[in-house]
Amino acid sequence: MDDLDLLKKDWKKQEANLPHLTYEEIYKMIWKKSSSIVKWIFLISILEFLLGAVLNIFLADEEYWQQMEQYNLTEFTVLVYVLSYLITFYFIFRFYKNYRNINATDSAKKLMKNILKTRKTVKHYIAFILISTGVVFLITIFLMLRNHAVTTTSTQNMEFDATQWLIFIGGTLLVLGILLGVVWLIYRVIYGILLRRLYKNYKELKRLEVE
Amino acid sequence: MNKELEHQFVTNLEKHQNIAHKICRIYTNDQDSHNDLFQEITIQLWKAYPKFRGESKFSTWMYRVALNTAITLYRKKKRNIKTQDYDTVHFKIKAEEYDDEAERHLKIMYDAIKQLNDIDKALVFLYLEDKNYAEISYTLGITEVNARVKMNRVKTKLKNIINP
Repeated sequence: MDDLDLLKKDWKKQEANLPHLTYEEIYKMIWKKSSSIVKWIFLISILEFLLGAVLNIFLADEEYWQQMEQYNLTEFTVLVYVLSYLITFYFIFRFYKNYRNINATDSAKKLMKNILKTRKTVKHYIAFILISTGVVFLITIFLMLRNHAVTTTSTQNMEFDATQWLIFIGGTLLVLGILLGVVWLIYRVIYGILLRRLYKNYKELKRLEVE
Repeated sequence: MNKELEHQFVTNLEKHQNIAHKICRIYTNDQDSHNDLFQEITIQLWKAYPKFRGESKFSTWMYRVALNTAITLYRKKKRNIKTQDYDTVHFKIKAEEYDDEAERHLKIMYDAIKQLNDIDKALVFLYLEDKNYAEISYTLGITEVNARVKMNRVKTKLKNIINP
């Protein structure tokens, strides 16, 4: 086919117009993959924060605050909000730092270290979410009970005997367990995929290191 | 040890980067996708590099891995490449070297190649690279006879696209 042969000639001439990357540019490229995963972790944490903030604004309406007032929980709720925002900000900052670090990394050893650090940060973050959810839940229940006992005038309906207390505590713990389980599952799905990919990269790097 | 491997790999790739750039030209339509594919090829080559033990030339091995990457990626995205998107800057032809008629004809040819499927593109690419059938069959992992048959079909397909 003449046409294709004509094209072949032209194809050779095109070689002069091809882009040319330097040694450094190619070198940087082989480490890019982990950096994009870490970037996703950073972006998801921001999205999560925004979603939480939006939910808070919509759920915490007048009625909610009135209810809190009733239970005498206003100060406590505000304190929880402030603390959780502060800690979440701290983690977003850490995720951002990890992202910057991995981007600027120039050797396999340092990259492996940064991958491990990122994984640790994510695990700490999930632990923080789980522990804070549990603690806030328990404290809220406790304060509600106490304040109810203080404010209520009729005593007859608040008297629990030992078995009733046992059932009540058992039920609370069960609900808490399920709640934490669901939260844990959600985070496993969101971050688990990214963490697994990071770990795969890490193992590949390690294999290269050994060989 | 790892440092040395890195250095070896990057040096080799820098020397032979034209292969990857040319594959990008066949499989992508704009500079951004060109860069994306180039990066993906680089990563796949680097991943596969420990298994490359120098039984073949680096370039021979690179053709194989790089084309596989382009084909796999192309399949994953299942992009329908529209000829209108085709970026003429990619195949800029110097005006003094060709008269208008020849230039126009070449553009039609390149446009036609863009319409081929992933495997056919690989065949045309290797043909343009002046590879013989033994090399084509090695690179694509098919038999030589199969490569010949496929190549003839691609040529007919191209003819049909150009002169419908």
